[in-house]
Amino acid sequence: MDNRATRRRADNEAGFVLHTHPYKETSLVVEAFTRRFGRVALLARGARRPRSAMRGVLLAFHPLRLSWSASGELGTLVAAEWAAGLRSLEGLGLMCGFYLNELLLRLLPREDPHEELFDAYAGSLARLSARAPHAAVLRGFERRMLAELGYAPVLERDAATGLAIEPERRYAYEPDRGPVAVTGREGRPGVGADVVVSGRTLLDLARDEYECAETRDEARALLRALIAHRLGGQTLHTRTVLMELQEL
Amino acid sequence: MAKEPIPTAKGVERLVEALRVLPGVGPRSAQRMAYYLLQHDRAGADLLAQAMAAALARVRHCARCNNFTEDEVCSLCRSSRRDPSLLCVVETPADLAMVEQTLSYSGMYFVLMGRLSPLDGVGARDIGLDRLLARASDGEVQEVILATNFTNEGEATAHYIAEMLRARKIKASRIARGVPLGGELEYVDVGTISQAILDRRGL
Repeated sequence: MDNRATRRRADNEAGFVLHTHPYKETSLVVEAFTRRFGRVALLARGARRPRSAMRGVLLAFHPLRLSWSASGELGTLVAAEWAAGLRSLEGLGLMCGFYLNELLLRLLPREDPHEELFDAYAGSLARLSARAPHAAVLRGFERRMLAELGYAPVLERDAATGLAIEPERRYAYEPDRGPVAVTGREGRPGVGADVVVSGRTLLDLARDEYECAETRDEARALLRALIAHRLGGQTLHTRTVLMELQEL
Repeated sequence: MAKEPIPTAKGVERLVEALRVLPGVGPRSAQRMAYYLLQHDRAGADLLAQAMAAALARVRHCARCNNFTEDEVCSLCRSSRRDPSLLCVVETPADLAMVEQTLSYSGMYFVLMGRLSPLDGVGARDIGLDRLLARASDGEVQEVILATNFTNEGEATAHYIAEMLRARKIKASRIARGVPLGGELEYVDVGTISQAILDRRGL
């Protein structure tokens, strides 16, 4: 195949570094998330040399402008520039950032542009950097990511009856279908795998409202179950690492 | 027409395969090294083999600082001229060597042999944080200096160590970052300058 025919160039594209791994002696493979090209893998030649100009720039969680050329799966990074001065993430905010990156690495296929998801990601990082409450940032992003990938959770109608969700009722959430009102007090037997949440949680989630503690807990469990369903059995490293840290 | 495979000795193949464990060594470089050793420097190859076997047999982790040593406790940890009230935490032995070169630090060390890397699944157990906590709680250590890298992973590592030390009422500090010594702003990368502005200090 003629390489020149398929060679693409991208200049000054808005993007973020999601993850990097060393490549050969002095280079780096960068997993980047770009606004117009989606997730791309780029080879940064010499980026691990002591005096590489890219060293202090190719960091996750900072808005960048990336230029690269690509003919196949792995593009070649030509330039990376700082695009805005976000305050670096710290502490738990940093772990939240790693979590968002892992979600994108696991669930977003390569070279599948999602401009709205990109904007949601950039906005989430800006809020984490501004020390916004973590739970609201994470739930908002999780919900938007599922929606962008085509799995928007049903939050306002009962999936069985089509009736509007009632705040005071309990609903069992079937990942592929949506919320179904629970009739018994303890939930129906045999649907133990489904997360059961209140109607209020579903409605709060639909409006991105996380003031109520019960909403936060239930929304967390619900989105976790929905994401686990999409991950098909893979576990998230960031979650394991965080749990291990809390044990010490 | 299928080409007949080039005949190679089993030993050569195994050597090439073995050399590939080295970082940055692919099949081509491994083959070059193997042929070089067998063709031009058999004595050197012998030396290498012996050194490797001896290192594997004798080198272990120091019970106190986790650095490589041949003893139970390394010479630095045994030295009476070091200040036992300071404990500097670094990611690798190379980092320790760097801090030593400054000649401006005379405390003790703890080498993590890694860093937290959530995306790669490297957690607290993989870098022996429990051993670091035990080391820092020996009663003599007054301050733990966190000298992990200024990458997101290094920052996360420093943060969690600091939290755990705070819970145990042990003072923790982080090495400063900013414009390098002798650095001219014009030639410093923007990321560093941006952080230096945010981390500015009063005079």
